[in-house]
Amino acid sequence: MDLESNYEIARTAEFIHSRNFTRVALQFPDELLKDSTLVVRALRDQLRSLRKCDADQNGDNKDVRLFVMADTTYGSCCVDEVGALHANAECVIHYGHTCLSPTTTLPAFSVFGKASISVADCVENISNYALTNGKRILVLYGLEYSYSIKNVREALVEALRLSESKSELGVHIADVMCSVTNPSDDNKSSNGLVGPAGDCTEDKTFGIAPGNSYSIGGLIWTLPDGHRMEDYLLFWIGSDNSAFANVVLTFNGCDIVRYDATKNCLVTDVSQQKRILKRRYFLVEKAKDANIVGILVGTLGVAGYQHMIHQMKELITAAGKKAYTLVMGRPNPAKLANFPECNVFIYVSCAQTALLDSKEYLAPVITPFEAMLAFNRGSQWTGAYVMEFRDLISSSPVEVTQSEEARFSFFSGGYVEDVNLQEEENDKEDSEGALALANATQKVLRLRDDPKSLIKGTARSGPEYFASRSYQGLDMHSNTSLPESYLTGRSGRASRYRDEKSKCDEE
Amino acid sequence: MVKFTADELRRIMDYKHNIRNMSVIAHVDHGKSTLTDSLVAAAGIIAQETAGDVRMTDTRADEAERGITIKSTGISLYYEMTDEALQSYKGERHGNEYLINLIDSPGHVDFSSEVTAALRITDGALVVVDCVEGVCVQTETVLRQALGERIRPVLTVNKMDRCFLELQVDGEEAYQTFQRVIENANVIMATYEDPLLGDVQVYPEKGTVAFSAGLHGWAFTLTNFAKMYASKFGVDESKMMERLWGENFFDPATKKWTSKNTGSPTCKRGFVQFCYEPIKQIINTCMNDQKDKLWPMLTKLGVTMKSEEKDLMGKALMKRVMQTWLPASSALLEMMIFHLPSPSKAQRYRVENLYEGPLDDAYANAIRNCDPDGPLMLYVSKMIPASDKGRFFAFGRVFAGRVSTGLKVRIMGPNFVPGEKKDLYVKSVQRTVIWMGKKQETVEDVPCGNTVALVGLDQYITKNATLTNEKEVDAHPIRAMKFSVSPVVRVAVQCKVASDLPKLVEGLKRLAKSDPMVVCTIEESGEHIIAGAGELHLEICLKDLQDDFMGGAEIIKSDPVVSFRETVLEKSCRTVMSKSPNKHNRLYMEARPMEEGLAEAIDDGRIGPRDDPKARSKILSEEFGWDKDLAKKIWCFGPETTGPNMVVDMCKGVQYLNEIKDSVVAGFQWASKEGALAEENMRGICFEVCDVVLHADAIHRGGGQVIPTARRVIYASQITAKPRLLEPVYLVEIQAPEQALGGIYSVLNQKRGHVFEEIQRPGTPLYNIKAYLPVIESFGFSSTLRAATSGQAFPQCVFDHWDMMASDPLEAGSQASQLVADIRKRKGLKEQMTPLSEFEDKL
Repeated sequence: MDLESNYEIARTAEFIHSRNFTRVALQFPDELLKDSTLVVRALRDQLRSLRKCDADQNGDNKDVRLFVMADTTYGSCCVDEVGALHANAECVIHYGHTCLSPTTTLPAFSVFGKASISVADCVENISNYALTNGKRILVLYGLEYSYSIKNVREALVEALRLSESKSELGVHIADVMCSVTNPSDDNKSSNGLVGPAGDCTEDKTFGIAPGNSYSIGGLIWTLPDGHRMEDYLLFWIGSDNSAFANVVLTFNGCDIVRYDATKNCLVTDVSQQKRILKRRYFLVEKAKDANIVGILVGTLGVAGYQHMIHQMKELITAAGKKAYTLVMGRPNPAKLANFPECNVFIYVSCAQTALLDSKEYLAPVITPFEAMLAFNRGSQWTGAYVMEFRDLISSSPVEVTQSEEARFSFFSGGYVEDVNLQEEENDKEDSEGALALANATQKVLRLRDDPKSLIKGTARSGPEYFASRSYQGLDMHSNTSLPESYLTGRSGRASRYRDEKSKCDEE
Repeated sequence: MVKFTADELRRIMDYKHNIRNMSVIAHVDHGKSTLTDSLVAAAGIIAQETAGDVRMTDTRADEAERGITIKSTGISLYYEMTDEALQSYKGERHGNEYLINLIDSPGHVDFSSEVTAALRITDGALVVVDCVEGVCVQTETVLRQALGERIRPVLTVNKMDRCFLELQVDGEEAYQTFQRVIENANVIMATYEDPLLGDVQVYPEKGTVAFSAGLHGWAFTLTNFAKMYASKFGVDESKMMERLWGENFFDPATKKWTSKNTGSPTCKRGFVQFCYEPIKQIINTCMNDQKDKLWPMLTKLGVTMKSEEKDLMGKALMKRVMQTWLPASSALLEMMIFHLPSPSKAQRYRVENLYEGPLDDAYANAIRNCDPDGPLMLYVSKMIPASDKGRFFAFGRVFAGRVSTGLKVRIMGPNFVPGEKKDLYVKSVQRTVIWMGKKQETVEDVPCGNTVALVGLDQYITKNATLTNEKEVDAHPIRAMKFSVSPVVRVAVQCKVASDLPKLVEGLKRLAKSDPMVVCTIEESGEHIIAGAGELHLEICLKDLQDDFMGGAEIIKSDPVVSFRETVLEKSCRTVMSKSPNKHNRLYMEARPMEEGLAEAIDDGRIGPRDDPKARSKILSEEFGWDKDLAKKIWCFGPETTGPNMVVDMCKGVQYLNEIKDSVVAGFQWASKEGALAEENMRGICFEVCDVVLHADAIHRGGGQVIPTARRVIYASQITAKPRLLEPVYLVEIQAPEQALGGIYSVLNQKRGHVFEEIQRPGTPLYNIKAYLPVIESFGFSSTLRAATSGQAFPQCVFDHWDMMASDPLEAGSQASQLVADIRKRKGLKEQMTPLSEFEDKL
């Protein structure tokens, strides 16, 4: 497929031009970075020609500056607003896989790219499956296939009409939200430009749409009245990526079939995804036992992230736990292990990067939704799963139904009371501040000789954890005032110091 | 049965010298419950209003069906001694009325935890031994446990009726059998030299051994007969008792006592002559319906029968006669009252075992003196499901003070640490309850020395706890119970309907409470796990879960799974090194197997993180040949800071080493919990830190760099030290007649078991077989064995040790590697193990 159409140069240029942007950031994921120079050149040419027309008409002549952004701080599916702001850009053109999360400050234009697909094969698969299955079918797809969905739809209607017998079987196809995201306070996307799949319906609200409208990862659809999601069989066109995992987890009550366009085959086994769900359940249970919680800022762009972080903090404090907020870019095991005092991390990010398989991590990393399950006493794991944290903001805030019973932990196999909750009550009684302070100090001092608090996560705050460490910083040998003797240090590179070389050679 | 009102019962509870708390313990099928029933029938306390309701032992449907006891049940008995009988009683007493709180416990090994819970709240134990089968594995286990808790035992040789009816052995042979049974029991007891408890061995001539026939409801101690003959011979009772046991022979012809058999045909052992023969005679006369002979004999013995009883025939007649002559209740109850300690006596020496805090504080003193006016000290040993669905009674024993309705108590859970607020709750007791038969009666308060059930605390107590008064903030808890079995068999459960999950969670919570041993946890994969002591235990737990605790919601259970351990066979073949993510730090380590017995010593808590370093290095150097200095360089134990693996610092002159210790420890805790082979716990591995190269800037050698690296290097050293799997192994004891042996051997062979002991029980056609059997092979073992021996062999399995599997898990196609693959698959891991190259780095 040629560059021009794959990167939708014309449409992009039209967008930039129509809005009179002068500084535009182009965001490429790593795998598309190699095409960036070509894209920039093509785009510049296109813009230049457009401008020429303009200049001819009203004499307005200004240069559009294009910036290429790579190596995003967070997931490459999100618009890197902070990066764009460094270049004072007025808008971001996002290439490649996207989660279409709404932005905070900058308008963004997404170019999904076009992956090849055989419409005929795809339709055949869908219709065959629909006929044998007998359930209503809802077709969802990776955004990279959205360009061809119009054809799929037509072909599908045709195919189903031919097999008259079961024509009452409904096949729904989701629509794509607009590829333009505007940062607007009312959280509505503009209808200025029509998405590639056409068919943009009138009301497109983000979050949980009223009635039977659903939206996930840039797709949107409305079910007829009286139909529930569980009545549908989901048919996913695309690869097994994070967008798919997102769909599987969100609609874990539905049967899901995946059509792999590159291999042209149906995959009906989604046990791996179901496994993920159970694993998340485990993490929720584990998080319940945590005393110190780290909130990882996983996005600086997705609308509402600050609100979410705030909400999480309140939630954690209300649960009697200690919260620390950490900003560290994309998390990895080594980074998080620098905070061994945290028993669990909450990763506030866009829906598609939110799931981190924390097997390699010292402490589990959970999503805000899971945190709400874990830290809201009385809330239960029902199987419903919400990936987008925006859907949580609207959800009813902490309704503390203080049940009398102590909390049962599946890790200790018995009741554990969240100590701080109890302490709070007691602290109210101890009105004397000085006494409370003395108590706290005493507690910290006592902790010093308890080796367990280091590992078992019994420390309740950073200082307490620190107090229980065996090493607490430089030891001052105050009794010797003499200067230490002079020592020659190592030299060479960290991978092998010079003095080590000889040792190896001897062997 | 004794009809009582709650007030009357409550009155006796104040007489702490007249209370006996005791449990009935024995091997499965030796007749505990039957014996208990006969005691209950005679002396059980029932509420005045429910007279007529005869059934006392609250039997579960499945208990009746299987014919075994599953849960321990407590019953109160009332017995009034005669002044005459109490003449020789030297201890303190308060009148002649006695209250006996008896707990009937299960005999099957799978339910040993119930026994443990029962022992904690009693002071004495009635050990029941089948006179034919003798002392079996479970008798031994529970006896050891009882003595460990400083429970004074008395013994009853049960199923005497078998001697007379089934086996028809003559007196001397029977005597030898009884003697052997008592000796065997004494051998076990003799190993518990305890100066405070004194001699715990049992002697028939001292009245601490009874002979009983639970089924027929009669029993005697030598006291019974000594009383009878003392006047006749003109000697005092104690002298007479001595003559009735041991090497004392009597020749009626010469009317002389000798200490040797004179060889004269009329010379017989005292026991045979005066105890065994008369009983045999009575039984035979009854069985043969020789009533004309019988009545005069009975008159001579002072036994009067009711007229309607005189019409009975055969066995029924025999039963009736024996019950009237030698009632089981009076023989056994008098033995308990005489020889088992009252709470006030027992707590004097038990306080050391019970109390964790300093033994000279107010609480220890209150326990020691069984002081009803002291601070409350109450141990909750188990939770009993109440009729109110989902609620539980907290059942336990008041060791000091008194507990009353409405009292605000401090609940100290098993993880409570004095001075902290962890696992500590302050709540009010809603009601204090005592049992009268099946009926619960609310009482105002219960004083120390008694058992009690509390309502309203079940939402804060999982299995057990120590309760004290609200204001007693300095009290230490009562020591946790130590179980003789461990939960090695696990099943994963899930609900059939996904939306039932909350029900399952609630059900598991209740299950965890209802059983002292069962462990309900969750796996990394998100599966709920129930772990129990054996197949039968799990089966009962699952049944309870589904029927009682989940309201019948359907559950799916996996096949039973066994957890393995990972260990190493040799020292690492080379020092392995791993680099930190930034490549600036390097850790060098080696793994080696621990010395034999060291892992067990850590398990038993003889060596642990809280040891005094000197004491630790003494044990390590003397018993395990460690260098004295090295013993001081143990960084930590793991997993969970107490497990049987450790990290030892072998470095010399490394800068900043103390700085990374915490990080290495954290990495080790993590890695030792999830080994490199199949993410099972490690066991018996000692990791030696050989060398460390660190970056000069502290920022580059933080936890983030060192923790993951420590984990990797530990894995690498494990893999290079010939890793092996350890599997849990049961000790199986089977008792069966000779003809069943072939079947037993073939089943054991087929299940990878091996027999290490086979003894014929002297005087019986029975064989006693002891074998080791891998736990993983034990599923269905019971039923296969029964099928192969036409129901003659019944195994008792108890976890014994971890056994190394010979095959190499790193070698493709070996049995161990297949096992590793299976475990990994179940856990949702990659089936292929992570290769060494992922963990080890090259310079």
